Amino acid sequence: MLTLLAVPLTLLTIQQPGAIAQRLAGRVSPNVAALVEQLGTAGSARGLPVDPLIQKAIEGSAKGIPDDRVAAAVRRVATLLDTAAAALREGGLASDTLAITAGAFAITAGLSANDITALARVGARPQALTVGLRVAGTLAALGVPPAENIALVSVSLRSGKPAADLLLLPADVESEVAKGLTPAAAAAGLSRAAAAQARHGPPPGHGQERPHPPAPPHP
Amino acid sequence: MSDHDFHPLVKQLLDGDLTLAELPAELRAEGEEALRLLAAADRTPVSMPAVTWRVMAALERRRRRIRPWLLAPALAIAAAFILWIWPARLTAPPPLVTVRFVLVAPDAKAVSLAGTFNQWDAHATPLVRAGATGVWTATLSLPAGQHQYAFVVDGQRWVPDPGAPAVDDGFGRRNSVLTL
Repeated sequence: MLTLLAVPLTLLTIQQPGAIAQRLAGRVSPNVAALVEQLGTAGSARGLPVDPLIQKAIEGSAKGIPDDRVAAAVRRVATLLDTAAAALREGGLASDTLAITAGAFAITAGLSANDITALARVGARPQALTVGLRVAGTLAALGVPPAENIALVSVSLRSGKPAADLLLLPADVESEVAKGLTPAAAAAGLSRAAAAQARHGPPPGHGQERPHPPAPPHP
Repeated sequence: MSDHDFHPLVKQLLDGDLTLAELPAELRAEGEEALRLLAAADRTPVSMPAVTWRVMAALERRRRRIRPWLLAPALAIAAAFILWIWPARLTAPPPLVTVRFVLVAPDAKAVSLAGTFNQWDAHATPLVRAGATGVWTATLSLPAGQHQYAFVVDGQRWVPDPGAPAVDDGFGRRNSVLTL
């Protein structure tokens, strides 16, 4: 049985280095390419995605960043992927490269490993969780504090909303912020509305319509 | 002796599908006789030409050496092949979403878009200036997912999208974020 597992995993692992070198050829310096290949091969053997490392190396080179700083940024991305993977495992999700990438992005945007674990513990399917992590990262980038952020994304994931509705949360928050609310207040209001809708169901004749955003503050 | 001589239930007895006790009482004698003949046949030496005998014996030894676990490497290679093929064949590509990028840059001579969707190629996606307004636009079809990007003004200046959330790019600048 071990042979059954070991051979495919080995074959999958050894096909990565060629793919990494091919994508980096002519785009980054040999030193950076070697680092990405080393980190990517080691990471993929642990079930981590390679693409974020490649992207960061190419990005740094395209922006004219010196090699040592590109290398540092690539190493940081590798650490973030490890942290996100561990946080997701802690939350009960086995290796899923898209979720790990989304988790690493969310941490970059300002969330913590504990926040990632909290979202994983909601128990959403990996695909929904991946969208939730991307949205949480985007909300963090918009300035929504972690507590309100995780509360809003968690209640939305628990309600089983389609991905399209989750993806609208940042726009909903921006809309409320444009009316004068802070990002925290906007997210908290949307959370309350979503929780109320989950308890009582959607308004008659509205099917799975999105929750009403909170009212803007009185002047 | 041919097995056609026996009752169908006795044939099942010879095949091991039934036991003697399961045979109807009137067939038990026939069954016992059939088993006796079978046992005698099994013990009867069979004379075979020497070469044929050795070949058959060798084949028999070879057949006996086969063990199920020896199939594991073959199955593993098959599994590896399937795992290698599946992602390419069975993973549906994410749906495309049309996105319009806009930057107001009246003084710019050229504006382009670089990001994760075009391998950060500053020349791959130029924006078009709308008349003399200083509004630069580009409309792209991007796969659903998360993208980071920046505008590149006059081929040198990397500018985050003022209308989009942004995150630290790890190089002391900001990347805009697009979640589709």
